[in-house]
Amino acid sequence: MAGNFWQSSHYQQWVLDKQDLIRERQQDLSVLSDEEYQKIFIFFSNFIQTLGEQLKLRQQVIATATVYFKRFYARNSLKCIDPLLLAPTCIFLASKVEEFGVISNSRLITTCQTVVKNKFSYAYTQEFPYRTNHILECEFYLLENLDCCLIVYQPYRPLLQLLADIGNEDQLLALAWRVVNDSLRTDVCLLYPPYQIAIGSLHIACVVLQKDLKSWFAELNVDMEKIQEIVRYIVSLFELWKTYDEKKDIQALLAKMPKPKTQPSR
Amino acid sequence: MDFDFKVKTASERAKVEDLFDYEGCKVGRGTYGHVYKARRKDGSDTKDYALKQIEGTGLSMSACREIALLRELRHPNVINLIRVFLSHNDRKVWLLFDYAEHDLWHIIKFHRAAKANKKPVMVPKGMVKSLLYQILDGIHYLHSNWVLHRDLKPANILVMGEGPERGRVKIADMGFARLFNAPLKPLADLDPVVVTFWYRAPELLLGARHYTKAIDIWAIGCIFAELLTSEPIFHCRQEDIKTSNPYHHDQLDRIFNVMGFPLEKDWEDIRKMPEHPTLLKDFKRSNYSNCSLVKYMDRHKIKPDSKSFHLLQKLLLMDPNKRITSEIAMQDPYFQEEPLPTQDVFAGFAIPYPKREFLTDDDQEDKSDKNNTRPNQQNNGGQGGGGQSEQGSSHGHSGPNAKRVRLSHPGGGQQPQAPPDFHQSMMFQRPYPLSSIKYNPSNKRNKDKNKKIYLPMQ
Repeated sequence: MAGNFWQSSHYQQWVLDKQDLIRERQQDLSVLSDEEYQKIFIFFSNFIQTLGEQLKLRQQVIATATVYFKRFYARNSLKCIDPLLLAPTCIFLASKVEEFGVISNSRLITTCQTVVKNKFSYAYTQEFPYRTNHILECEFYLLENLDCCLIVYQPYRPLLQLLADIGNEDQLLALAWRVVNDSLRTDVCLLYPPYQIAIGSLHIACVVLQKDLKSWFAELNVDMEKIQEIVRYIVSLFELWKTYDEKKDIQALLAKMPKPKTQPSR
Repeated sequence: MDFDFKVKTASERAKVEDLFDYEGCKVGRGTYGHVYKARRKDGSDTKDYALKQIEGTGLSMSACREIALLRELRHPNVINLIRVFLSHNDRKVWLLFDYAEHDLWHIIKFHRAAKANKKPVMVPKGMVKSLLYQILDGIHYLHSNWVLHRDLKPANILVMGEGPERGRVKIADMGFARLFNAPLKPLADLDPVVVTFWYRAPELLLGARHYTKAIDIWAIGCIFAELLTSEPIFHCRQEDIKTSNPYHHDQLDRIFNVMGFPLEKDWEDIRKMPEHPTLLKDFKRSNYSNCSLVKYMDRHKIKPDSKSFHLLQKLLLMDPNKRITSEIAMQDPYFQEEPLPTQDVFAGFAIPYPKREFLTDDDQEDKSDKNNTRPNQQNNGGQGGGGQSEQGSSHGHSGPNAKRVRLSHPGGGQQPQAPPDFHQSMMFQRPYPLSSIKYNPSNKRNKDKNKKIYLPMQ
């Protein structure tokens, strides 16, 4: 579906306000610092990405799954559903919506088990604990919390259109594309329309490649203030990455994370 | 999953059975599930609603696609999804729509019966034109959003009964069936794709691998012809359908019997069709030398110099590249000639068609089509399709007498491979594994100009 973004549920319901986002996260942020919270989301974005690649999904499907994941926790505490369960559920739902085809339940579970064991053993010492029935149950909660808004617009297409306008710049496209992928580790997909994220990513790519497209940017009819905000989000992610060793820190972070209680609280 | 979270969401969740009365009010059933005519229990309005309980449990891919697309689509001629109910206990999915009292399958059936009994039906002169115009309008909206219907047929074209939207066309069940392009996955993983062949474009029957807008247009042409004549134009016995093969000899034979055998100059790319060699082997041009759409429609009293015929001919062009688009079709002189199309297809006159009947649970698996008035009808025992019969057909798929089969692999070929991937991150030392990212820069979407002609509506 390549419909009109301005009439989409994405624009009308899911471009969130920064203050609302902070308010919704109050509960989790009373336990975790801002940075710890972000590191947990980076970890699970990586997990979704790895799962998706293992399942040979297109990047569009992986990006959609990541946005579902972030949307759920934009409205709910991490304690409501274990992110280790929600992550594969997002992949499962996104692959159906994006017409990739249904991933069989057994393949999904097996892939989760292998990925946890082979690639994320530094985070989880135990094997992947969930089964098909957990995923199916979780899927209903996910769909409900997304308010059935399943079509997600991504920055990839607007990025290609922008590059087509600039002219054949393969290197620039390649780099900007990767910045868009990285942006999924920030909150920008919850806060800004995808075409602005595309412009922000392109801006970063231009700086890295020392390409002067100032006049081209000046002609774009966009709110440059917003673009600068997006750039700041992504650049601060890169800053964080410089000093952050996920392999070393993640176990402690996951231990500190608020968790579901399967029994009624007394 | 957190216990308190479950308790809290359960207490907030609206249940379909608490909000709506629908017991005993089933009006349709089929492979898609069950449709009920429903009313609000609290009486906050007295409108009728259609409640569709999706077949099976959980979220099948077609249910997902249906919810995802309908959540975004909004057009007067496209069915409007009001709300989704998820019933966690039995894992059933319910969709709430406005209720449409009529559909073209029932309307055409009514006309056929009247014709057989030599009883005239009083309908406004421009009704067929109004129906076609609104079908095109709805399809144009879907096409400009790159949603292909893929299964257009009379049963999927609903018409609103008495009420604020009286006589308005609503296209239902779009885009949810899909063609699987490669036998990469076991059949069990896929949703069964259920089809009738009468509305299938010739390129699909010759093995075309992808659905296109032109395929929807062909189906609209078939529906238009059926509205004009009350006969399915490409009616065909469908007993020997090979489920795994798109090529269908009898259906092609029927098309050529009406249209004549396509000339190479009229459809140059026919040579590139996967099943072209089979076509050459199985068919002789000379057998169809006396056939043409002009003659067929003339037999049904549609004159070859009429504007309706001219438009029909453009909708039913064999070469998909030459077939008219919905946008151009809406500007056709046919729609500018009196009587002009009206928003209420009944143009304010009394609606001659009966309301939908309630179905009882007893005739659930009704295998016969005993109430059916169509000739040459075939039974419903579709191969591999489990022989599901459909009744009612509100918001449903094919009409009761269209034979359905599961189509496992009509394309027979592989999906075009996406170009090689881009790397994942711009960070030079990646904190997460390198990935393969596919993108397809050549994947151009059409820019829609949204041109519409102004039509004075009554």
